Amino acid sequence: VLSRVRAALARVGELFRARSRFAREQDEEFRFHIEMETGENVRRGMREPEARRAAVLRFGGRERFREETRDARGVVALDNLTRDTRLALRRIRRAPGFAAGVIATLGVGLGVAVGIGTIVYGVLLRDLPYDNPDRLMRVDFHTDGIPGQGQRQSPATYFHFATRARSFTGLGSYSTDAGFAITDGDAPERVTIARVTPNVLTLLGVRPLLGQLFEPGDTSQSSGRSPVLISQELWERRYGADRGVIGRRIAINRGDATVIGVLPRAFDFPAASVSVWFPQPTPLGSPGIIGRYITVIGRLREGVDVAAAAAELNALVPSLAERFPQITPEMLQQSAARISVESLKSATVAPVRPQLVLLGVLVGVVLLIATTNVVNLFLLRAGRASQEIAIALSLGASRVALAQRFVVEGIVLGLASAIVALPAAAIAVSTKFGFTEREIPRLHEVAFTSGTVAFLFGCAAVIGAGVGLIALRHTAMTGLFDRLRVSHATPSRAWRGAQTGLVGLQVAIALTLLVAAGLLGRSFWNLRNVDLGFEPASAMTAQVSLPWGPTGYSTYDQATAFHTMVMDRIAALPGVTGVAVVQHPPLTPGNEGQVDDGGNDGRPTVTATSDATSANYFRVMNIPLLHGRTFQPGDQGGVPTVVVSERLAARVFGTTDAVGRTLREPGRENVPEHSWRVIGVVGDVHGERIEDGHMPMMYFPLLHGGGRLADGVAGDEPRDVQYVIRGAPLPAASRLQRIVGELDPRVPVTDVRTLGSIVDAATARVRLTLLLIGVAAAAALLLGVIGVYSVMSYAAAGRVREFGIRLALGAEPRRVSRTVLGAGLRLVAVGTAAGLLIAMSATKLLRSLLYEVQPMSLGEYACATGVLIIATLVAAALPARRAARTDPAVVLRGD
Amino acid sequence: LAKPASNEQVLQGTLDLLILKTLSLAPMHGWGLTHRIEQLSQDALQVGQGSIYPALVRLEQRGWIDTDWRVTENSRRAKYYRLTPAGRRAFGHEVAAWQRFVSAVGLVLAAER
Repeated sequence: VLSRVRAALARVGELFRARSRFAREQDEEFRFHIEMETGENVRRGMREPEARRAAVLRFGGRERFREETRDARGVVALDNLTRDTRLALRRIRRAPGFAAGVIATLGVGLGVAVGIGTIVYGVLLRDLPYDNPDRLMRVDFHTDGIPGQGQRQSPATYFHFATRARSFTGLGSYSTDAGFAITDGDAPERVTIARVTPNVLTLLGVRPLLGQLFEPGDTSQSSGRSPVLISQELWERRYGADRGVIGRRIAINRGDATVIGVLPRAFDFPAASVSVWFPQPTPLGSPGIIGRYITVIGRLREGVDVAAAAAELNALVPSLAERFPQITPEMLQQSAARISVESLKSATVAPVRPQLVLLGVLVGVVLLIATTNVVNLFLLRAGRASQEIAIALSLGASRVALAQRFVVEGIVLGLASAIVALPAAAIAVSTKFGFTEREIPRLHEVAFTSGTVAFLFGCAAVIGAGVGLIALRHTAMTGLFDRLRVSHATPSRAWRGAQTGLVGLQVAIALTLLVAAGLLGRSFWNLRNVDLGFEPASAMTAQVSLPWGPTGYSTYDQATAFHTMVMDRIAALPGVTGVAVVQHPPLTPGNEGQVDDGGNDGRPTVTATSDATSANYFRVMNIPLLHGRTFQPGDQGGVPTVVVSERLAARVFGTTDAVGRTLREPGRENVPEHSWRVIGVVGDVHGERIEDGHMPMMYFPLLHGGGRLADGVAGDEPRDVQYVIRGAPLPAASRLQRIVGELDPRVPVTDVRTLGSIVDAATARVRLTLLLIGVAAAAALLLGVIGVYSVMSYAAAGRVREFGIRLALGAEPRRVSRTVLGAGLRLVAVGTAAGLLIAMSATKLLRSLLYEVQPMSLGEYACATGVLIIATLVAAALPARRAARTDPAVVLRGD
Repeated sequence: LAKPASNEQVLQGTLDLLILKTLSLAPMHGWGLTHRIEQLSQDALQVGQGSIYPALVRLEQRGWIDTDWRVTENSRRAKYYRLTPAGRRAFGHEVAAWQRFVSAVGLVLAAER
């Protein structure tokens, strides 16, 4: 876009330069001519000064010569531009209502379209900010039913593909961990780290701001020192942008690390929140495919396409079983293990693509509606200005000059609209409607730049020019004589039909969007008012992370003692009514596992989410205890205990009273079998996605003896725990940090959030769609109202003589206004009928976003229709009133 | 200074035709063109010197003539005009149209009653 703007500017500059060159040549030609003529006169016997005067006289004046040649050349266009702009501004001042209507309509349309369009473009379409980004691929591993995080890979599968695949110049892997703390210096700080194989950085083509990147052999040992890269942001904030940071040792989590380089701010892989990168070695790790947690990316070799690469990797899948004894051909076959290769950009934005595509279409529609309305306003005005135009034409104004006048006026109004739209678009892009890259990937890359401004003004100018041309075409369609004879426009039947059709379509679109907004609003309302199974009001969570290891906390008892002291101090704060700890607060992702009832009656295994909590968690969260009891200190010995949710009890045991039964996780691969005794059944809570309903939950004790599901699945170290605090008032984050800091200054308190904000985050997806469709619906309604107003005014203006005659013959003004209103009503009725039909099929697309609302919900349809009909009738009432007030004397005299 | 009675102003619209014809004989600069036309008409036609340049620009815009700067016999720099192939074709049409016009006018004038 920018390059095109630059090219256009260059062309204008070229025109100016050509003009001055032409003027220079003209002068030279003029001088030549006069000299030749003078010479001729002298030869005929004249004296020098007289000969020159005669030559100039015969030529007929230099100024006229300049003007006439310039006119003939058509460069007039450029010279007239300034004049036309002045004229356009004067005409706009003369019709402030018309100008305000155009600027408001186009301003709304452009603001919405460019604001949201910039976000959609930045997330969905813009290239990733890495070297040669179209060759970057994400390589996912899919299985049916083998536990692991989504479509991630295991170190074993990564190793296998990285060493065998030929379709890629390199395959790299990464994983992130938000649970790290830097504990040197004054205040401990929690950071998100990424473990990347050294080649990830070279695959992406990042160059360090300072220092160097990882060497292929770099590894991070859990005890010894590890080379790390830090972000520019961390470097500036924590280390004061000190260039001596290279080689510095920092204390992070369990050990020391040495900073070997600083990565530039623009580098945001795998996430903008990452501030420390550790080298991920490429050994086998756990040589199986359970508990996959790393993500694999690669750069396609030149000449290899995505399908060929996927085929190659899929062909390599069976050989996993030959290479790793813990993977059997049966496992691969039964789980339909397979590989997908997708461009990194597409894989990154996949979760939000449908919403953003829908959004892109919506803003396009809004802009189209706005443009249509502006055309209508222009025609309404052109009808009134038709005499002026006719006179201009009859006085010999050329069509081109007239076209230029219309186009210039359109562009001036378009640019004025762009000025109105600019702040709206800037606010939309910079606030991003309150969303962050946690909800919408790549959102942090979206920014309001000079390119956006150029695009906005470019769009505005093009639309303005187009509207001017359409208005002119219509004006030219009706003949010159008609114009001179008739006081008001009597547009062709075809045009009026098309115009009415367009407004009808707008009404239909506005109705569709209103229905969609209504359905989403209801859905959002349902989501916000669903019984989540716990009480979100006046409660907060805060994460407390202990440094774990030889220099920090190394036993379960030490950690328990620390947390117990902190909890006691928080509980003593005024207003606080309860403090509990939990590993994953509700509505955040937890660990999943497969469990059954001990295998006695052959029920299938159930996928359940596991969590670990203190005994009082259920009381603090207001989760009802239905049967049995919660944890007690005495539970440590003997058979491990578990508290399950009602749904899990029903699914696994077929009864909600499962107290005393045995819950088992069958052994798998290298994971031994585990079983627990059910001591209590509690009420259901909603899972990470509220709309998915209740999740089967199992709760293991935290701080009451180590509960464990399987290695690395349910944490057995109370290292990172979430405090859940209920009360009013709730303590401030700084208060919590002070309490923790007094006991151990190395321990950071982070992620202090209210439960309400966690609920907000969980409903973000629906909120996004609702907000955007809401904005689009409001804009469409506003534009629809302007459309109905302009087309009704237009029609009424065309019949003004008829009204004048009727009123002069004694018709009641009410009957005249009813004529106009009736026409409006017919228009709205047709639009509404069409809108209902469109809505009925379009809202089916929303089904996946709706929660406990049917797409055909009668209430929403009725409401939307009501709002639309009232708004549009108000718009039609204004011209109707004006028609009733027609002064017969004025109209009849007008002829 | 009275002009000779036979010295006619060039009719509006025929100037283009005269320019095309003259340029079809040889490329020429503007001043030369005015004098050549007068000379070819044996001084019967008077070309408005100021009006020949707008006409030249118009013809150039239409793509019928082209220009370049050359040095005259007196080693002065001057802008020369010459016919393009499109101009040569257009000239043919213009001549035919002119002749139709002249004969039509002639028919009208020759009418007896």
